Amino acid sequence: MRPLLLKPLMLECHRLSKQYGNVLAVRDMSLTLEGPDFLSVLGPSGCGKSTLLRLVAGLEHPDSGAVRQAGTTLSGNGKFVPPEQRHFGMVFQDFVLFPHMTVAENIAYGIRGLKSDRQKRVLELLDLVSLSHLSDQMPHQISGGEQQRVALARSLAPRPQLILMDEPFSNLDHQLRVQLRQEIHGILKQEGVPTILVTHDQSEAITFSDQMVLMNRGTLVQSGTPKEVYQQPSSLWAATFVGEANQLPVRWAQGKLHGSLGVVTVPPEVGEPTATLLVRPENLRLQAANSGGVRGVVRQVEFRGASQSVEVQLESGEVVCATTPPQTACAPDDAVSVHLDHFLCYGAAGQLLSNPKNLRE
Amino acid sequence: MPYRTSRWSWLTAGLGLVFSVPVVAILVLAFSAQHGMWTHLASTVLPGYLTNTLLLALGVGMGTFVIGVGAGWLVAMHEFPGRRVLEWALLLPMAFPGYVLAIVYVEVFEYAGPVQSLLRELFGWRSPRDYWFPEVASVGGAVFLLSLALYPYVYLLARNAFTQQASALLEASRMLGRPPQQAFWEVALPQARPAIIVGVSLALMETLADFGTVQLLAVSTFTTGIYHTWFGTNNASGAAQLALALLGGVALLFVLERWSRRQQRFHMRSTATRFPLRHSCSGIRGWLTLLAGALPLLLGFVLPALFLLGWTLQSWERLPLDRFVDDASHSLLLAAVTAGLAVVLGVALAYGMRLCRQRLVRVLIRVVSLGYAIPGPVVALGLLIPLAQLDQRINPWLEQQFGMGVTYLLSGTLFILIAAYLTRFLALAFGTTESGLTHITPSMDEASRALGKSTLRTLCSVHVPLLRGSLLIALLLVFVDVMKELPATLMLRPFNFNTLATRAYGYASDEMLEPAALWCLAIVVVGLTPVLLLNRQLRQAHAVQETPSHRLMPVPGLPDAAPAPEASHA
Repeated sequence: MRPLLLKPLMLECHRLSKQYGNVLAVRDMSLTLEGPDFLSVLGPSGCGKSTLLRLVAGLEHPDSGAVRQAGTTLSGNGKFVPPEQRHFGMVFQDFVLFPHMTVAENIAYGIRGLKSDRQKRVLELLDLVSLSHLSDQMPHQISGGEQQRVALARSLAPRPQLILMDEPFSNLDHQLRVQLRQEIHGILKQEGVPTILVTHDQSEAITFSDQMVLMNRGTLVQSGTPKEVYQQPSSLWAATFVGEANQLPVRWAQGKLHGSLGVVTVPPEVGEPTATLLVRPENLRLQAANSGGVRGVVRQVEFRGASQSVEVQLESGEVVCATTPPQTACAPDDAVSVHLDHFLCYGAAGQLLSNPKNLRE
Repeated sequence: MPYRTSRWSWLTAGLGLVFSVPVVAILVLAFSAQHGMWTHLASTVLPGYLTNTLLLALGVGMGTFVIGVGAGWLVAMHEFPGRRVLEWALLLPMAFPGYVLAIVYVEVFEYAGPVQSLLRELFGWRSPRDYWFPEVASVGGAVFLLSLALYPYVYLLARNAFTQQASALLEASRMLGRPPQQAFWEVALPQARPAIIVGVSLALMETLADFGTVQLLAVSTFTTGIYHTWFGTNNASGAAQLALALLGGVALLFVLERWSRRQQRFHMRSTATRFPLRHSCSGIRGWLTLLAGALPLLLGFVLPALFLLGWTLQSWERLPLDRFVDDASHSLLLAAVTAGLAVVLGVALAYGMRLCRQRLVRVLIRVVSLGYAIPGPVVALGLLIPLAQLDQRINPWLEQQFGMGVTYLLSGTLFILIAAYLTRFLALAFGTTESGLTHITPSMDEASRALGKSTLRTLCSVHVPLLRGSLLIALLLVFVDVMKELPATLMLRPFNFNTLATRAYGYASDEMLEPAALWCLAIVVVGLTPVLLLNRQLRQAHAVQETPSHRLMPVPGLPDAAPAPEASHA
């Protein structure tokens, strides 16, 4: 459609802090975004992720720290570039379309230049979000999903250097959300605009982004690709917030880790401080009873279509959750044996200790 | 079951018919006039009335717009010392009826009044020829005073529109490259337009209906014209024609207001502003902002109230207190009886509306809710003429039956006063009840009926207890409006019968401004209650702002807060 933005974005947040009253919304946050990336900021509600986005947008002044872009300071060090001069696009949670303007007028609002150019750009965007037939409607006459696409088109219209999205899908129902997410992802890729998405929905963050930032209580917990964050959560909190996880207490004795899933061998420098073993459900294998491994009894089976989730009570009394292929025959009260394929070690403070290696006993 | 429903239909339809009598009477009277009356009116008084009324409407429209939108914008979008107090205090001028404000300002600014005396002393002027001073008794003065008394309508609605979503829209606009000042004109003001139009048209309806202010300031408008044509030249059909023309203007505003209310619903989406963006003004700028925001409050409430208080205390020894007690008890009696009746009838109408699906019945009920917009002199004229005729029929019949007649059984007693009040203010009770009823799910009715209760028993045992709050508010609103009512009372009261309002007006007309102060003060104190109530409601609404279905209405003085729901039932 149009040439990719060749200028690298190079957005940098440096030790940002922001306080509302006596609530510290953002604490010492740093992050960088280079090139046409998708960055999602994930965290529970109230963790300060929206505030972070607003600091980047220039809708809030940071108490300390700085926002820089390609070497220029946008906020911080006594400088502040107002939002209207930053050339960032924003898609709000509740769309915030101008109620007194038609769809086309909404989209045209931010475009500068000759009237004919503006019209051309509006048509281009209406086409991009497949809403050409609604151009003369008022916002209250179109559906929520359509409003969302208008909001996106409006933010893309002035060719912003960066798109900021604040929980853009949370006001839509589930099915629409999934569909629209894919659509908008496609549109943004096509336009080649770097994007920061703020969300509390982990599946949204995982599927949407190239880079992911996990936040909790105003601070950065972990950043990396979605794969890294999922596979090597830096803390037990991160592991449970992104994806499902079994946490099993273990103790170090005679050079090995002992727990309810049996005995595993790890290097002593990892094993000694380990307090908890973290196992994703898909890393537990269920096999017929007496095929080795740890014995257990099936408590509950939840069929999910492409997979099934099985709750197994281990000999020790602890209950773990395993994901198996849907064809695995298994019913409550069946005796099974549980095999451990992969795990991570965490210390007493919940911090990640080991690098993932397939260490199996 | 169908029998019971139709009984409610008859009742509501009957009430609707009864309360459309004044308008019908005006129509009949206006068109039964001798030929040539229109041309006579048109060639004599009409141009003056028309010019004054239009100037007044234009001026008050602009005045309430500027003050209301300005104050709403300051309070909604800026942070400055005293903002939270100012936010509700700006509603206080609602407690001052226009005519009370006029009484105060005429006294303060007249030649012998404190302001001019002070100026003369300061500058050594001796006579009125030495200096120029603005005349309060002019169209300009009326515009100024009515704008002060009526801007709260615009302020309230504009402020709501701004706080609800202006900051989100402004942010969106800034993200699209607009500086904030430009965003105000392009986004914030247009999005609030329907709300502002509703407010301005309500203020204008009050302006057209105003009698006391313009009469005291000697500005001839349609309302004073009706009064003079009727009482001065004893020309009822001429008065009816003026009334009809006035009703035309009111109807225009009414349609505009309804239409904007519908637009407003589209504009007011449930956008929860998570980050209310108030531009903070500190230091000297903060204090200047406070001063600007407080100006309408000072001029429209604080200073006049202080003057009234001062005059009352000054003349306390000489005040005819027994007369005050008499007048106050008259006012209280009328207000209490009317309020009670209005609530009973309002409940009946609202419940009938809920039960009946017939189009005609619903239209008749809507006629009742128009009553609030009909100016007092028009109601007075439209009631007195038919009731006087009825009395002429009743009198011989009474003499025949009982051997003694009463000459003015209906038209010369408190009956006609209460009927006039009900015609005007039943709409308040009805609107408040109706908006309360919409919160009660129809399944509630069905549950009660399924348990074997009749419609009347259902009303008494289910709806009335649930509506207790709304009914109390309705009672209070009608009560206060009756206390403040001037023109209809003035024209319809029995001989030598006075209320607080008519006595205050009478004193003022006789230029006895000092004794009028106590009467005025009493009216203002009573008028304060709905303002405080409204404020409390707004606060509660603020606390539950997350629930988008929550309605701020009923707002005192805003007729029929409920949106017109016909469309969904048709």
